[in-house]
Amino acid sequence: MAEVRRKTGKPLQVNPHKLSQPMGATLAFLGVDRCMPLMHGAQGCASFTKVMFTRHFCEPIALQTTAVTDVTAVLDGGDYSITESIKNIGDKVSPALIGVHTTGLTETKGDDLRGVASKIEAPLVYVNTPDYQGGLESGWTLTVQALIEQLTEPCERTDARKVVLVPHVSMQPIEVEKLREFIEAFGFEVVAVPDLSSSLDNHLGEKQASLSGGGVTVAELEGLADAGTVVTVGASVKPVGATLQKKNPAIRHRHFAHVSGLVGTDELVAWLLETSARDTPPAVVERWRKRLQDAMLDSHFSIGQTRFLLVAEPDHLAAMAASLREVGGKVALAIATVDSPVLGAIEADRVIVGDLEDAEQLCDDYDIIIGNFHTEALAHRVGKRAVMRGFPNYEEIGSALKNDVLYEGGAYFLFDIANAAERMREAEVHHARERIKQQGAAA
Amino acid sequence: MEGLLVSSKPKIKELLVESACEHNKGHKKGPCNTPTPGATTGGCALDGAQIALFPFADAAHLIHGPMSCVGGAWETRLTPTSWPGRDLTQTGFATDINTNDVVFSGEKKLAEAIDHVITHYAPEAVFVYSTCVTALTGDDIDAVCRQGSERHGTPCVPVHAPGFVGAKNLGSRIAGEAVLRHLIGTKEPEDTTPFDINLIGEHNNTGELWRYRHLLEELGIRVRSTFSGDGRIASIRTAHRAKLNVIVCAKSLISMTRKMEEQYGIPWISCSFYGMTDTSNSILAIAEALGDADLIARTRALIAREEARLEETLIPYRAVFAGKKAVLNTGGNKSWSIASALQDLGIEVVATSVRKSTEADKAKARQYLGEDAILMTSPASQQAQVIDDTGAHLLLAGGRSLYTAIKKRIAFTDVNQEKKKSYGGYDGLLVLAEDLKNSLQNPVFELVDRKAPWRK
Repeated sequence: MAEVRRKTGKPLQVNPHKLSQPMGATLAFLGVDRCMPLMHGAQGCASFTKVMFTRHFCEPIALQTTAVTDVTAVLDGGDYSITESIKNIGDKVSPALIGVHTTGLTETKGDDLRGVASKIEAPLVYVNTPDYQGGLESGWTLTVQALIEQLTEPCERTDARKVVLVPHVSMQPIEVEKLREFIEAFGFEVVAVPDLSSSLDNHLGEKQASLSGGGVTVAELEGLADAGTVVTVGASVKPVGATLQKKNPAIRHRHFAHVSGLVGTDELVAWLLETSARDTPPAVVERWRKRLQDAMLDSHFSIGQTRFLLVAEPDHLAAMAASLREVGGKVALAIATVDSPVLGAIEADRVIVGDLEDAEQLCDDYDIIIGNFHTEALAHRVGKRAVMRGFPNYEEIGSALKNDVLYEGGAYFLFDIANAAERMREAEVHHARERIKQQGAAA
Repeated sequence: MEGLLVSSKPKIKELLVESACEHNKGHKKGPCNTPTPGATTGGCALDGAQIALFPFADAAHLIHGPMSCVGGAWETRLTPTSWPGRDLTQTGFATDINTNDVVFSGEKKLAEAIDHVITHYAPEAVFVYSTCVTALTGDDIDAVCRQGSERHGTPCVPVHAPGFVGAKNLGSRIAGEAVLRHLIGTKEPEDTTPFDINLIGEHNNTGELWRYRHLLEELGIRVRSTFSGDGRIASIRTAHRAKLNVIVCAKSLISMTRKMEEQYGIPWISCSFYGMTDTSNSILAIAEALGDADLIARTRALIAREEARLEETLIPYRAVFAGKKAVLNTGGNKSWSIASALQDLGIEVVATSVRKSTEADKAKARQYLGEDAILMTSPASQQAQVIDDTGAHLLLAGGRSLYTAIKKRIAFTDVNQEKKKSYGGYDGLLVLAEDLKNSLQNPVFELVDRKAPWRK
């Protein structure tokens, strides 16, 4: 498989695409209904995060900060700033849940989050997410685990029809919805944890950003342990299966590295057929499979002659690389934000943990870039074309409704990429013609 | 280079109680720096320092901290530059510290990072920003910067603005302090003129500086340096030889100009280049401060010419804006500077927010808007009622107020659009006029709240 480099070997990040662990935690809490994420750090930690998600989703974002100052950093162990924050939040809104997550600052000063949380009456879940460890994926996963550990009530019976779905952090709101509905179409009842599909799906809401405007409810979180199965999608959230099983060892755990492309979706469907004891999938699923087959044939010529650079979170890389490989796309280089067990399984010539400086140095290896908005400027610098995927995307609107998963999204993804590749080649032909004309005029 | 060897942290207390800052009149403590846990919005000191310094495109900006401090924030500052080299404003550098650096110090990593940046990007200077974590673990960035400067002959400037020391405003002052201490006065200019000025706090957001700099130059007023829009390290190092400091829309940098007055005898004035009236007043104020009768006369002529030109191009808009009323919900000096621009277009500003304004801003808002206008102290809860009471046609506010406009079925313009497009100077007023016209004529605000077919 791929050549994998798991360490950057540099003393710094230049043009980083890596995002922090508290950012992942914030996003996970935003997938809980009527939640107020509370970042325990200096006001900037929350502000940078809020600005990023506001711009990515084009939505106001609910997020508060304990606003640790130099004085409280030294004198307070979190007792004052967290308690005071919860009181002040309660003066304005009545959250169903407060999601306290730490930062590098409050972890370095060594706050006893658990001790503080035990003294607070308000509904609260806490999670330790220092930003000098991990990244967006781990912050998301740690938060999902904390939600289950601290809220879910142990249970002994299971309901075979109930599925708990845990998506990885890079799945956009519409993708979570499509996957949930896909599983539901086989006769299951699905609870997604977290569920961004009803909170950050670009719907027009009235009370803007006073609290998260949708998501999995606290009651649903409390009652997760009677599920028949927990389905995890993405290596980063695989450990959540075991977390839920601690609440009820009878729950079965089914893991998928991704649900992208023909093979990836086929695997999910095969399992759904088996588990639901159905012989055939719903008609709409069959129809979309045929459309994807057609899309694969329509796009293979273009994508099959194109070399790609993918820049994303590890689970997102695995999903996109699989889709492209199915139609002959050459993933020359995949750059991950952080190390992950999935890196070795990514279908690429070379996989590295790195930054966009690495991407720039290796620019002879690829034609098309797929990555977050920073890759747009990179593409201009190195004379390539970029397609925007992943966090954050400030260049485009509509990111929350961009669907790349399952048969349906897979078809749209291939169209997007093939069209970008064709436009790039057309531009090259145009430039070549212009050059010939100019040479002719000069002669 | 002598000055670079002496480096020390700024005196936070002193910056907080800036005597020239309006916020501090009548307060005993520093009111600019009291974030309330659980009820705080806005960026931290590091954010403010980044905003202040990132526009120097010929300098590298190295954040010594974890990814929260830069991950979502680099390449987001729309401050264009004419610097022909690589645009380092849009290049992110971070040490991305890990557990090891927290436990055993990140100084060695920082030193290596400085080496990497200077070797590969050849910046004119390196700004090294401490962050909460590295400030708390006690990394000596002063020493690392001093050694870096000696090793490479490139100024490495420590910026002590970890987020927990305060809000954006303070970070901006700290940035000013760092430049004053480490760069200004470290180089003598090749030539000077009697009309050399520094533009302080002009970050060239969306090219705002370029809307009026050519007019100053036409008058023979030379912009010796800017802090920091389209700025150059080489010119800011000679800023001490300017004849006048002009603060552009930035109260936070008063400390810097006051100290430059004390150290170098440079007087300062405060200006705004929003709208026709303010742009004219500001250009004239600069000429008057430079005190040359001929310059003042030429300035008056230029203003008359520009205003006449603008008036003519605005004629088609006059009909669109006639009789239109606007409610303005934005902060600080924008409460009057944008109001002034709207008035130039013939729009009546019936209310403005003064929630975050200083006493002087409030007085100025009152003076611009007149006795009948409403100064909203709690705009979020007030603006819907104010729209009803005044019959306003247009709401200019941040994105969070969009729903108010839709509910009231009036046009909405995101005041933060000016983060993408420049409304500054004479020509910027035309851009604003076009955007407002488009808002007023757009059917979306009425349509989007249309009753759904299934609702009776």
